Amino acid sequence: MNPVGTPIPLLTLVAAILLTVVPMPDALAAWRPHWVALVMIYWHLETGNLRSLGTAFAIGIVLDLTSGTLLGQHALGLVIINFLVGRFRNRLRFFPPWQQALAVGALLINERVVQLWIIGLLERGWPDWSWWLPPVTGLLLWPWLFLLLDALRSQRRFAR
Amino acid sequence: MNGPGTGDRGSSSDTVGGTARLMFYSLLAISLMALDYRGQYVERIRAVASHLVEPMFWAVDLPFSTAERIASSWRDRTETGNRISELELEVTRARARLGRLADLESENAQLRRLLETARRTDQQFIAAELASVDLDPFAHRILVRRGRGDGIRPGMPVIDSTGVLGQVDQVLFGMSQVILISDPDHALPVQVLPGGERTIAYGSGSLDRLRLTDLPMNAQVDPGDLVVTSGIGGRFPPGLPVARIGSIQRQPGQAFATALAAPLSAMDRNRFVLILKTAAPAAEDAPAPTEAETDPSSATDSPTTEDAAAPATQGDIESRTPDEDEES
Repeated sequence: MNPVGTPIPLLTLVAAILLTVVPMPDALAAWRPHWVALVMIYWHLETGNLRSLGTAFAIGIVLDLTSGTLLGQHALGLVIINFLVGRFRNRLRFFPPWQQALAVGALLINERVVQLWIIGLLERGWPDWSWWLPPVTGLLLWPWLFLLLDALRSQRRFAR
Repeated sequence: MNGPGTGDRGSSSDTVGGTARLMFYSLLAISLMALDYRGQYVERIRAVASHLVEPMFWAVDLPFSTAERIASSWRDRTETGNRISELELEVTRARARLGRLADLESENAQLRRLLETARRTDQQFIAAELASVDLDPFAHRILVRRGRGDGIRPGMPVIDSTGVLGQVDQVLFGMSQVILISDPDHALPVQVLPGGERTIAYGSGSLDRLRLTDLPMNAQVDPGDLVVTSGIGGRFPPGLPVARIGSIQRQPGQAFATALAAPLSAMDRNRFVLILKTAAPAAEDAPAPTEAETDPSSATDSPTTEDAAAPATQGDIESRTPDEDEES
């Protein structure tokens, strides 16, 4: 249903990685959602692109290099997300938007737990309550991101 | 993993394969993290792979650096004038202070020559601007707009106007990553003044705290004492201010006392940092005088040995200063 080799998923992923490191005012920095995970979930759900765990791993490594975290830290989170999305894809796809947003929020919270576990093991200081804000932002943004990426995808299809 | 229909059909063999793949990639990620944390093997891969993501840093930083440049070129005339006069005043004050320091320096050089210890050389440094890229807040790293082309090398100490900030970790073409002293991986050999107690300052994982462990129980360390680099290890020059002691704990059961110290540098709140070019001045200078003494003919070989062999008079130092002024 989607032409093979469309660069749009790749472009949106690059944009997501850039959004992850773009400087934000201190007040908003804690709210920064996990852009890469959101974009990856969208493409996996809607087109089946980026569905393999190897792809998720590779994306995670690039994100680790860009954001200066340990190699594999984001990779582990994204692999787990992609696995869970693959498991529940058939159900998630036909959820109404708000229910889908809740499911995505749950996935993001799960990823946050994994990250917390890693940071705890490394003794990098215990994060405060603001640690749990990004999944909330992700949940709220999901329907809008969904519409935006849908628009991008259909535009591309009609242009051909 | 790219088999047709993966994930679309929920057959039992698929789920088993999926779980196996999940285990495989999770283990891969965890072992990578462990290796990266230990700082072995993966270091090389990371250094090379970081170059691949450098365009991303540029893409994020470029709009900000351009905006800064435009803003500074459009700045109001009067504002610029005020700023210049402000800076001129600051320079005058600094010159006055430097004049006194030059006197002290010459005295110090003479005393050191009497004690036959290595002379302290002037630090050469590169000023670097912080890039507008937000790295992970738990990574304790910052990105500066100077790279291999500017002569930056891994391990160079990084300071700001108030104290030690960290050291260069990854060097890219036009940017480098600096690891902060607050990173739990970072250990810095320090000395506590005025007691002179030597120890190691470890990062604590939070920006406003360092841990000083292995202090003797009877060490003369009090809250408010200044922590400076000791120069042991040769990477950091001695005497750079690092932190101020906040509290000290002497637990009865333990063999050593531990102290917490607050870093003096403004960690992630700087715009400009200084990267010290000469990593180990004391260690490099030490053999020079003895060499000149044993073999006077070699003194003419290079300007550094010649300089070191010159007679210890005040005129030597005074004649040296204008030369340096011309160079800079």
